[in-house]
Order: sequence, then structure tokens, then C-alpha cells
Amino acid sequence: MSRWAAALIYAVLGAVTFVVCFPLLWAISTSLKPKDEIFRWPPTLIPETITFESYRELLFGGAVASAPGAGVPPSAYFMDWFVNSVIVSVGSTAISITVATLAAYSLTRFRFRGQRAVPYVAILGYMIPSVIFVFPMFLTMVALDLPDTLLSLILGYVCITLPFCLWLMWAFFRGVPIEIEEAALVDGATRLQVFRQIVLPVALPGIIAASIFSLIVSWNDYLFGRVFMNSMDKLPLTVGVMHFFDGTHVDWGLMMASSVLMTLPMAILFGFMQRHLVAGFGAGAVKG
Amino acid sequence: MRFRLSDRQVGVLFMLPLLVSVALFLVWPIVEAIRLSFVRYNPLRPDDQPFVWFDNYLFVLEDPLFWESFRQALVWTGISTLAQAVIGVGLALLLHQPLRGINAFRGLLLFPYIVPTVVIALNWRWLFNAEIGIVNHLLLSAGIISERVAWLSTPDMAMASAILLNVWKYTPFVVIVVLARLQTIPTELYDAAKVDGAGAIRRFRDITLPQLAEVLAVVVVFRTIWTFNKFEEIYLLTRGGPGTSTYNLALYAFDQAMANLRMGVGAASGVIMLVLLLAGSLLYIRLTGFGREDRAA
Repeated sequence: MSRWAAALIYAVLGAVTFVVCFPLLWAISTSLKPKDEIFRWPPTLIPETITFESYRELLFGGAVASAPGAGVPPSAYFMDWFVNSVIVSVGSTAISITVATLAAYSLTRFRFRGQRAVPYVAILGYMIPSVIFVFPMFLTMVALDLPDTLLSLILGYVCITLPFCLWLMWAFFRGVPIEIEEAALVDGATRLQVFRQIVLPVALPGIIAASIFSLIVSWNDYLFGRVFMNSMDKLPLTVGVMHFFDGTHVDWGLMMASSVLMTLPMAILFGFMQRHLVAGFGAGAVKG
Repeated sequence: MRFRLSDRQVGVLFMLPLLVSVALFLVWPIVEAIRLSFVRYNPLRPDDQPFVWFDNYLFVLEDPLFWESFRQALVWTGISTLAQAVIGVGLALLLHQPLRGINAFRGLLLFPYIVPTVVIALNWRWLFNAEIGIVNHLLLSAGIISERVAWLSTPDMAMASAILLNVWKYTPFVVIVVLARLQTIPTELYDAAKVDGAGAIRRFRDITLPQLAEVLAVVVVFRTIWTFNKFEEIYLLTRGGPGTSTYNLALYAFDQAMANLRMGVGAASGVIMLVLLLAGSLLYIRLTGFGREDRAA
């Protein structure tokens, strides 16, 4: 390839990368500005004065506004929301991954009647939008006396994470050779021993990839949280931060600081697990 | 005496959680949605649910807002999917080039996928803010526009902003899938074409495109189905506004169930979405032969 062609490709990719990164870079810049600088026209690209005021309000605001009842700003709940989001994402991921791993192993090692229907069920479940699941599930939660609890949200998220966890683990186990297991079984190991000692370690990369996707999907959900939850202190992050629009004026510094803090856990996971993620994308495990 | 499971029993035992979960989290909500679409549901008297035959469906089909939402959903889906496919294939071709540092670009371009939709919507509202948004500032300073554009409060611009958000977030999906396919095209095909004297454009048209055709069809069907049913991307950016100019069917269903408390009508529009989705899935299965023994992987 000629040097000019290479330079052109780099230029195009550089421009695209800029477009991809700009919204978040701009969010970081805004989140570090004092309030008067945020509203300045023309806007300053890089903050002239750097302040961590917005971050402090989000991370430690709950401690300041300890008096319950009226007058508590939404930002005081930020850390509660954060913890809630962690609990529900991890909870639903744990359920979906466990169920999917067991079933995928069984499906690829045993013969059942109707087992060919499973990939269809998975792909269908993974295409159905959450707006169809959310209201029947909500009425079920009401009937079970569970609405406005983190448990209801964990169960709701299983609807959207299970199908593609199943799909990914199923695709993964199909690719794991069966010979070592058979050798161990012939040597007198039980099926459960084989599963624990041979299969699980081999399946770990697949389990990690599927877990990351599941965490991303449940961390990012808005709809279930919006319909299921009511109390300010029980909301997940996504629903909570939308309350920052409630007042008469919008605090963009606070908004952008929460954007950064919400993206951070996923960005860290993403950074650590990029190789696994690419493997997962290859297997078609993308919910979107 | 130790209790031991037979091999076969372990297999069945491992399947049980899935069967229970599929029944509870997949079959049950869908059956319940279909049932709800045939009753009148009053949130104040949840026990009294009279069967109303097709009233909810008639309500939906006679509602001008439903048809407006449907038309807007077609615009939103068509433009988004087309842009994602074209940009996605273009980027995948660039990222397929053997250049130094290309892996760093590949990694960075995956980034939008992990950004929560709420975050993107917040950022978009800030970037496209009419008064003090950076997009207006940059376009004004570059002389591309002469006065501020009210991005989110004029119907066409609101739709354009939403589509832009969608393209920004989901083009990486197309890139990854197409890139994975590009890497499996045998290089001998290109070598042979070069020997025959085919130029870059001929090689793209005669080798790359036909090789990509199948995976592109799959990606387009997938993106079409998902984009058509998107809720959060639009709701969080524009709430369907200004007015109802960015409603799609998901927003319509949500609005009926949540704002108007017509759970049955919301369920009926959900079932209509489900039928459209099944039609799309059948198309997907036809296109790929998905599930056929020889190529189920």
C-alpha cells in the first residue's frame, strides 16, 4: 500500500475516533468546570478553572443532606443508586449465567427430545424488546407483592439477559472438545466431578465474556427500573439520574459528572476484558 | 450409603433451571401480554378484568397516533440501519488494512457499545443544547450555519439527532461482525484477481461484496428488528417530542400503558410489535438457514 493511502486511512480513522470519543471527552470537560464557566458563551473547550465540586456533590452529597423528607436534592441519592445498580446487575447476571451454563453444558453433552428448539428460543428471546416484557412482569410483581424492591428488578433483568447468555454459552460449549471429559468418565470420575474439575475451568473465558455482556445490559437498562421502582432510594442509576431534570434549571455539571461516573465501571470492565469481549462479539453475542 | 446421581439424571438436573426460567421469564410474560391485550385493565380495580375481544386492537388501529408512530418508526429504522450498514462496512474495510496500530483503533471503536444509553442521551442533550451547546458553537464558528439550530425542539432536527445517536451507538456492531467476516475471506481470491489484472474497485465489487453479502443480510435484519423496537434511545433523548414527532411503536405502547393507564391497549400494541418481529425473524431464518444441522454453528 502506498504511503499516501496509509496516511488517508489513518486520517479517516482518526476523525472517526474523535467523533466516537468526543461526547465523553466533552462530558469530562464539562464535569470539571465551575457552574459559571459551564454557561459561558462561547464555550471553553478545556476548563479554565478545574473544580471537583460536581463529583463531590454526587459522591458525598448523601452525607451532607442527611435530613430525610422534603428538600433533599436528587443528587444526595447518587451513591444509593450506584449500590442498587451494582446489586441488581450482579444479581441478575449471577442467575442468568448459572442457569445458562448448566443448561448449555447439558444440551451439548446429552440428547433430549426437543433440544433443537433451544437455539430458536434463545434467539427469539434475544430479539424481543423489553417494552413487551416489562408490563406483564410488572403486574406479576404487583401480584407477588414485590414491586419497588431490588429483587423484582433482578428478576426482571433475567428476561433480557438469560436468552443471550444461553445463546453464548451454548455456542461456547459446542466448541469445547468432549474427549478429555470422556476419558475422565471412563477412568471412573462422576459427571459432577468432571463438570467441576474439567469443564468449568475450560469454560471460564466463555463465562467471563457472557457475564460482561450481561452486566453491561443490566447496568444500562432504563425501562425496567422506570416501571418497577418508585422510592427515590431504591432506583437504579439510570432512572435516578433522569431526576436531575426535575428542577427548574438543569445542572449540566452534575449531569456530566454522573455520566462519567456511570460509564466508568463499564469502561474499566471493558479495558480489562477487551480480548474476551472481542471473542464474544465474534460469537454473535451482542444485545442491542 | 452414598447418594449418587446417574449420568442421565445429572443431565436432566442441569436442564431444570433453564426450563423453569424460560417458563417464568419468557413464556409467562408473553402469554400474559397476549391475555392483557384482550382485557380492559383498570389499575384501581386490578381484580376486575373484563374480556373485551378485539377492542384494544381496534383502538390501536383506529388511533392516528399509532399510524404516525408507525411511519416515524419506518423513517427512524430505515435511515439508521442504512447509515449503520454503509458506515460500518466502510470502517470495517479500513480496519481490515494491515497497518501499524490498527488494533488500538479497533478497540476504541467498540467503545460506544458499552456506554449506557442514559449517558449518551444526557450527553446528546448537552451537545445539542440549543442555547449553549458545543455543536451549535462549532457549526457557527465553522460558518456552516448562520444561526443556532434548535436541535431537539424542531421535529425534523429531533428525529435527525435521535438517528445520529443511534448510528453513533450501534455502528460498532456492524463493524465487528463485518470485520470478523472479512478476516475469513481467503487471500488467494485476491491474489488470483490481481494476476488477472483486476483493480481495487473490481476486486471489491467481484470478491469482497459477494463474500460479505450473507453476513450483511443478517446484520441488516438484526439491526432493523432491534432499531424498530428501540425505546430508550428515543424516549430519553426527546420523550417522543417535540409533540409526538419522534414517537415509534415502543414509545406508543409505553405511553398507553404508563401515561394513559391503558394497560390493555399498551399490550395490544406490544403484540402487534411481536407479530412484526416474528415476520422479521422468519426472514432472518430464511436468509441464513439458521438452525439447519450442517450450519447451525
